[in-house]
Amino acid sequence: MSELALFLVRTGFLVLLWIFIFSIISVIRADLFGQKVVSRVAQANVPAVFSSPGAAGATPTQQLDQKATKLVVTGGDKVGTEIALSGRQLSIGRAGDSDLIVDDEYASTHHAKLVFINGEWLIQDLDSTNGTFLEGQKVSTPQTVSMNAAVRIGQTTFELRA
Amino acid sequence: MNPLTEALQISKLIKVVPRSRNLEALLLFFAAGLNAFEIAQIQLSILEKITTDLFTYWFPPIAFAFVLHLILRRRASEADPLILPIAVALNGLGIAMIYRLDLASIASGGAELFAVRQVMWTALAMAIAAIVISFVPSQLFLRRYVYVSMAVGIALLLLPLVPFIGTTINGATLWISFFGVTFQPGEIAKIALIIFFAGYLVNRKDSLAVVGRKILGVRIPRGRELGPILVIWLASIGVLVLQRDLGTSILYFGLFLVMIYVATGRAFYAGIGVAMLITGGLVASRVLDYVSRRFDSWLNPFDQENYDAVGGSYQIVQGIFGMANGGLFGTGLGGGVPQLVPLAESDFIISSLAEELGLIGFFAILALYFLLVARGLKVGFRHNDEFAKLMAVGFAFVIALQVFVVIGGVTRILPLTGLTTPLLAAGGSSLLANWIIIAMLLRLSDSAADRQAEVSIR
Repeated sequence: MSELALFLVRTGFLVLLWIFIFSIISVIRADLFGQKVVSRVAQANVPAVFSSPGAAGATPTQQLDQKATKLVVTGGDKVGTEIALSGRQLSIGRAGDSDLIVDDEYASTHHAKLVFINGEWLIQDLDSTNGTFLEGQKVSTPQTVSMNAAVRIGQTTFELRA
Repeated sequence: MNPLTEALQISKLIKVVPRSRNLEALLLFFAAGLNAFEIAQIQLSILEKITTDLFTYWFPPIAFAFVLHLILRRRASEADPLILPIAVALNGLGIAMIYRLDLASIASGGAELFAVRQVMWTALAMAIAAIVISFVPSQLFLRRYVYVSMAVGIALLLLPLVPFIGTTINGATLWISFFGVTFQPGEIAKIALIIFFAGYLVNRKDSLAVVGRKILGVRIPRGRELGPILVIWLASIGVLVLQRDLGTSILYFGLFLVMIYVATGRAFYAGIGVAMLITGGLVASRVLDYVSRRFDSWLNPFDQENYDAVGGSYQIVQGIFGMANGGLFGTGLGGGVPQLVPLAESDFIISSLAEELGLIGFFAILALYFLLVARGLKVGFRHNDEFAKLMAVGFAFVIALQVFVVIGGVTRILPLTGLTTPLLAAGGSSLLANWIIIAMLLRLSDSAADRQAEVSIR
């Protein structure tokens, strides 16, 4: 074989070897950061997020029937965030498509969700690694979340308020 | 509808289907391509034509790797998708280099060929890995055999000392032989000992971590907690003295230290362990002749006296010359003269590869090991079960420790010792043990994902 061909084969092999390594690294990278990139966009698209710290209890319009209308984050990175409880369920986790995205090492991708059934909001833990806690109790089966009861996921706590 | 069943049904809907197995298949094809490329390149540059031998050395490991992949699809569908392709890539690279050295040895009239044996051992090792994945249902199964593992581990360690079957090669009594096949039981012993360490530390970690008096701000554990460390230390010293092998004794002791540190989170154990290791090493270098010669060859390899001595620094120096010959880009597979280094296909395979692939290729190999170990540690990090966590850390770290000790020895960071480069070096027992370790990591990564009930790779 000519000198040039050998050189090309030689260099080609090293390039391929490193492409192999970088394709492995790209998998790990997607694993670590990919969802975060998505989450920023998704966060911006959630229509009913109001970032107004200290505004808790400032909406006195529909308090009469003591129905929970919003989720208020009371502790963690997103303290003060409010999400209106408009739909029938609300997902919580690190995944970018969650309704409440918790950017927290101790939260799982699909960590827990709130489901509205028979006029009550239930919290269900989706087999998360570190658990979901309702008033300090670990949630193993779906539990009713009463008004102002503290729910903790990782380092984030939130309550349902009227 | 019952609220609970409704909630459960909704939860089923958002579960993500695992795509990790397809990713694994893709990366396996890539690794297979790399392996074929390596052998083809070697044949082109040495034989100047591609022969059917390419198929002989390339196909069997790849076929077995895909069988493993299919078994993972059925039996451990959530297992880590990166571990298997990395292991296959490293194993194939090792076979290619061994084949290349065989070609050099044929050219100079040599008769002992390693590559065919390496391919056969690879196939056997992968088959045994498949059996491990299929028949070890989870870590809970192993939990029952913690103390059995201890007995098996110690028995395997002592086996080479038994008269008639024990065999001494190059001064170290690490082998047993029957019917002409030599085997290194210590390689398997390390798996048994990892299972034992994990089981033992899970039971004891609280008393190891919390109990003890504080002296000068450092919490000193009670004597009975230090007992096991002393036992392991003495066992390592025993290996050093009786079996005359520095690498194995560093491996066992280092492994135990890492696992006790991970279990308790106390730097005290790591500190006292390293102090014991250094003390033991210094005493051994004074008392044991072969250790002191190793130290001498490590510190002054270029002394003519050390270079000429039997068992001196000749091998290290040849390895260094080889790597220097390779430079940054290497001579290309088949272009260098790695056969000049004694044991180029086993202990010094990394210097052979560094010569032909250059510093760039050498770092690629290190990166592969790094990724393999990182994935293993991640399995431990993600797992909920303490016992499984410790085992995964142990398995990942035993690979890291071997790589560090061997490559450190070849590149003169540490005294040269007789460990094998995992998955690369010629040697059946080591291949077998490392494939079992890979299988265990795959098994544990699947059960870690099970409990997580989610897929992190999308």
